[in-house]
Amino acid sequence: MRRWSSSPFSRCRRRQCVAVLSLLCACGVLARSASEAEEPKRAVQDKASTASFSEQVVPLLTKYCTKCHGEVKPKGRVNLAKLTSESALASNAKLWQLVIENIESGDMPPEGKPRPTKQELERFSHWLEASKAQLDCGKESDPGRVTLRRLNRAEYNNTIRDLIGIDFRPADDFPSDDVGYGFDNIGDVLTLPPILMERYLAAAETIATQAIVVESDSAGFVKTWETETLDGDSGGAPFEDWARVLASSGEISVPFVCPREGEYVFRARAFGQQAGPDPVRMAFLVDGKTVRIADVTAESANPQLYEVKVPLNAGTRRLSVAFVNDFYDPKAKDPKQRDRNLVVDALEIQGTAAAAGAPLPDSHKRIIFRTPTKETRDECAQEIIERFAARAFRRPLTPGEVARLVKFVHLAEQSGESFERGIQLAVQAVLVSPQFLFRVEIAPRRPSNDKRPLPPTYLINEFELASRLSYFLYSSLPDDELWQLAVKNQLRQGNNLEIQVRRMLKDPKATALVENFADQWLQIRNLKTISPDRKQFPTFDEPLRAAMLKETELFFETVMREDRSLLEFLDADYTFLNERLATHYGIKGVRGAEFRRVALSEGSHRGGLLTQASILTVTSNPTRTSPVKRGKWILEQILGTPPPPPPPDVPELKDDGATLSGSLRQRMEQHRANPSCASCHARMDPLGFAFENFDAIGAWRDKDGSFPVDSSGSLPTGQSFQGSDGLKAILKTREKNFTRCLAEKMLTYAIGRGIESFDECTLDQVVEATTADQSKFSRLVLEIVKSDPFQKRKNRGAGR
Amino acid sequence: MTKTGRISRRTVLRGLGTAMALPWLEAMGQTSALATPAGPSGNPAPLRMAFFYVPNGAHMADWTPKQVGTDFSLPLILEPLAPLKDDLVVLTGLAQRNGNALGDGGGDHARALSTFLTGCHPLKTDGANIRVGVSVDQIAASKVGDQTRFASLELGIDRGAQSGSCDTGYSCAYSSNISWRTESTPMAKEVNPRLVFDRLFASQGGEGTAAMRARRELYKKSILDYVAEDAATLKGRLGISDQRKVEEYLTAVREIEKRVDRASKPSDGDRPDFARPAGVPRDFQEHVRLMCDLMVLAFQGDVTRISTFMFANEGSNRSYPFIGVPEGHHDLSHHGNDAKKHEQIKKINRLHVSQFAYFVNKLKSIPEGEGSLLDHSMIVYGSGISDGNRHNHNDLPVLLAGKGGGSIRTGRHIKLEKETPLNNLYLSLLDRMGASVDQFGDSTGRLEGL
Repeated sequence: MRRWSSSPFSRCRRRQCVAVLSLLCACGVLARSASEAEEPKRAVQDKASTASFSEQVVPLLTKYCTKCHGEVKPKGRVNLAKLTSESALASNAKLWQLVIENIESGDMPPEGKPRPTKQELERFSHWLEASKAQLDCGKESDPGRVTLRRLNRAEYNNTIRDLIGIDFRPADDFPSDDVGYGFDNIGDVLTLPPILMERYLAAAETIATQAIVVESDSAGFVKTWETETLDGDSGGAPFEDWARVLASSGEISVPFVCPREGEYVFRARAFGQQAGPDPVRMAFLVDGKTVRIADVTAESANPQLYEVKVPLNAGTRRLSVAFVNDFYDPKAKDPKQRDRNLVVDALEIQGTAAAAGAPLPDSHKRIIFRTPTKETRDECAQEIIERFAARAFRRPLTPGEVARLVKFVHLAEQSGESFERGIQLAVQAVLVSPQFLFRVEIAPRRPSNDKRPLPPTYLINEFELASRLSYFLYSSLPDDELWQLAVKNQLRQGNNLEIQVRRMLKDPKATALVENFADQWLQIRNLKTISPDRKQFPTFDEPLRAAMLKETELFFETVMREDRSLLEFLDADYTFLNERLATHYGIKGVRGAEFRRVALSEGSHRGGLLTQASILTVTSNPTRTSPVKRGKWILEQILGTPPPPPPPDVPELKDDGATLSGSLRQRMEQHRANPSCASCHARMDPLGFAFENFDAIGAWRDKDGSFPVDSSGSLPTGQSFQGSDGLKAILKTREKNFTRCLAEKMLTYAIGRGIESFDECTLDQVVEATTADQSKFSRLVLEIVKSDPFQKRKNRGAGR
Repeated sequence: MTKTGRISRRTVLRGLGTAMALPWLEAMGQTSALATPAGPSGNPAPLRMAFFYVPNGAHMADWTPKQVGTDFSLPLILEPLAPLKDDLVVLTGLAQRNGNALGDGGGDHARALSTFLTGCHPLKTDGANIRVGVSVDQIAASKVGDQTRFASLELGIDRGAQSGSCDTGYSCAYSSNISWRTESTPMAKEVNPRLVFDRLFASQGGEGTAAMRARRELYKKSILDYVAEDAATLKGRLGISDQRKVEEYLTAVREIEKRVDRASKPSDGDRPDFARPAGVPRDFQEHVRLMCDLMVLAFQGDVTRISTFMFANEGSNRSYPFIGVPEGHHDLSHHGNDAKKHEQIKKINRLHVSQFAYFVNKLKSIPEGEGSLLDHSMIVYGSGISDGNRHNHNDLPVLLAGKGGGSIRTGRHIKLEKETPLNNLYLSLLDRMGASVDQFGDSTGRLEGL
């Protein structure tokens, strides 16, 4: 990784006074005196820069900034007065970043206030560039503090899938993980209340008993689903409070995690509401294939059992029953003869002796990979447990740790149960151990005779690095290749890290980055709970909701898989549509439910993330668009320059037309006349207005109610634009802002903590390298992976 | 098993009072159910405590009764509680001062909720070091929770936020959790009625013979011992903030160990004759009612005595089209004194209150001792915001239902001195629960005259 030249601030770090952020100010002073003593040359340089700071920068700040952003009632709570002493430079890196971004973008000073001349600006940015290079990006940057991370729900599901080989998805029933910094994988925010521990215990038991077959209990295996307990999307409609009814066609389905290949009996308890010449017919289906059609002659409220013997493969099977001969004759004389329906009370699956004798499931063979004899029991138990637990804990085990787990095999045997039962227990114990549930990172032990001062940071070991990498890109544990490299301690060797990252980004498991990073960055996970007013937006339905999400996910995934430029997120000449979404967009020629890549024509008004229905919908209210939310979303998720929070007690938009009238836009503009709102809204609103041609579910419109849409606007910089196409053109010129914003979000997600002042250098480097490599997606990921925050931890002694 | 002629869930619940034995009587050595009421010489029924939270404040003009004392009429929003008026105390003038900015700027929704039961001012952070305080329900749970199988029960309708920022500068943990076990561990709420039911009433020992059950219990304890030891070893090798996470883990393990001990007795009798819920109902009102039913069952069977319930996360923008409110709640709550928006907010407020009335009525319909379950309860209903437009945290909409075992004189509207700390009410409730503390948040003493 490229290093920046050493600076006074890095010296400070060597003295270990940095660890506590709040000490940074004092630290700056310490650093200077230290460097003066050690390196007089540097001290001279320091003085030179101080001179230019007080002569060239302070007057500019005083002239243009601190009148509004001073000590007293600073606008937007941004106080720049504290920037007028240079010693505060390091501790205010984040604030400086804000200043730079606002000046570079022309957002500040705002329109109507005196603005710096071109020369003044040049002088300022010249100084900034010079001092930024000095601001720390020294040899040793601060990797920050990552709090022990518990597996979140997605990570738990994926980890179990990759560890056991069965996609159980037990975490779907866990309580939600709380969100911090926009993501649900932040160490400090991932807490562990007792209810979650209960769920972990229950899940571990289910997983262990389904993954490993204990001979004694497999033949009599029975599972029953009472249909009234099924979720609404299982098919059919509730029948009274004890069954489900299929009234026309359709089926009722349940997922069944088949523990092992063999013959099973699949039963349904059902009756028919008979009408017409034939009895009700019910089909049994396995994974969508009909295995039997039964005549359901049982009558109302008196259900009978119907069954079929079926061979099943291990893994998740879809068991269904379908109603196949609907009859409806509203004119029939006897009202009872008018409508034929199938009512299903329960579904059941039972193992048979043939199932018991069948080959063991893969998950069983994968865990119990050696069959013990009397003589080799202990040895086998050790090997089996060591292999399983090492993958689960994502690091090798000590012999003592293995021995503690082997005790579970003894415990089962002492209780008169089998070896396999013992392994089940050990697996259960592993799956609820803190070593599994948390991603543990431990400082290396130092030999007691090592008297050298503790360095402030250390590289995490390769097992820990492999985990960071795989949880970043897969939301799961390291795959075989990563694991082998870590075992050989070669993950950091040569070009290996880069080779691995590129390989992983192509792996199907990297869809986790789409579902967990992209969906949260873009906030489209909220699509699930959004409820547009059905009266105003009658075309909004579940297929459309699903299609919106799919478009954005496919689009993001394509940029990732094809390693395209990040700038395509801002604008692209293609997208992904199916018929439903294409109709919604008014794009012709797309037929069928499946998604495909569609080239966008000039006048389509679509292209890039900003004009996708998913995002336009989550940034709207149920009954109307919200230019403020859309503008805020762009500032926060695209440009990385969030607006300050609104002042308290602000009168909001009135709808009564008494004082404010006209279209939503006109009313908002009247609202903006209020000076306490004006400066922030001048940043947010125009961004949102640009998208006013898209209604609250992202469909094109020319009118807002009876008012023609006006989607023109001008930014605080004075740049004006026409509609979303115009704004996109401007946003594309803010490439650096966007890349930096995305880098911030991705770094947050990758390391599980918020961005701190000392991360500015890391981000500068990531952005610069990414831009230099055609803004390729892989470059962004690689630079994050190679960065200090990703590679290092602080030493415990170094100030926690 | 045949299900023909099954009685509906609601019928069953109404009849439940006689179908379930009362565990607290059993534990005291009495085996009789309600046929033998606990008279003056009998054992008093235990007190139950619950907190119902509504987001975004209320339209106070139609919440606050005009008259004070016992002779008052219920304003529009509280009207659905009319049949229960004699079981209520409407409390006007309460404030939760730590919900104010106090120099922290925006984020009133996050503060409203996180302060509501903790009385503490939350640390403004989007993630690092989330911290507020232990909530009043958890103080009670830590003192008397060991008398029931579950120390407390946390219920709600909305899952926590899935992404994005919930309120300026505050982690979403603050606006989706009302109950805090420690200052940094929120108690995640359960939103799926099926899972709540299974958790509360699934048979504890599992199926099989006594020997099989004993064996399973031995295994479970061995696993808990193993992981507790694992955690203790691990803790010694970690830095302070990591240690806190492992401590959280250990606390959870200990809680479950205690529960395993408590559940040793056969517990099939605990399972009520109540149809296992099918999952999360699509219909909001049905969802709320099911959760209320489950809380009632838990109180009735003495599975827990302490519970919280959130109608929605704070700042919720849920729409309620089935009562003619297609707009988002939060969007509306910034009403700017628009009469139309006031009307819509009133509808939402009234809907929530009517669902609360369903719950209170259910408690009242279940006889216990010489009175009803409601008589032995203290149910707080309220919001941490008063006017949604101003985000003020004083003059809060708060009411109390239940007689607290005869210690609360209900049927009144009490107008308190302005800015009376809400925490004073909590001190008074904790006293009654047998979980007294001297001070809570900005409390200035007990609430006089309850």
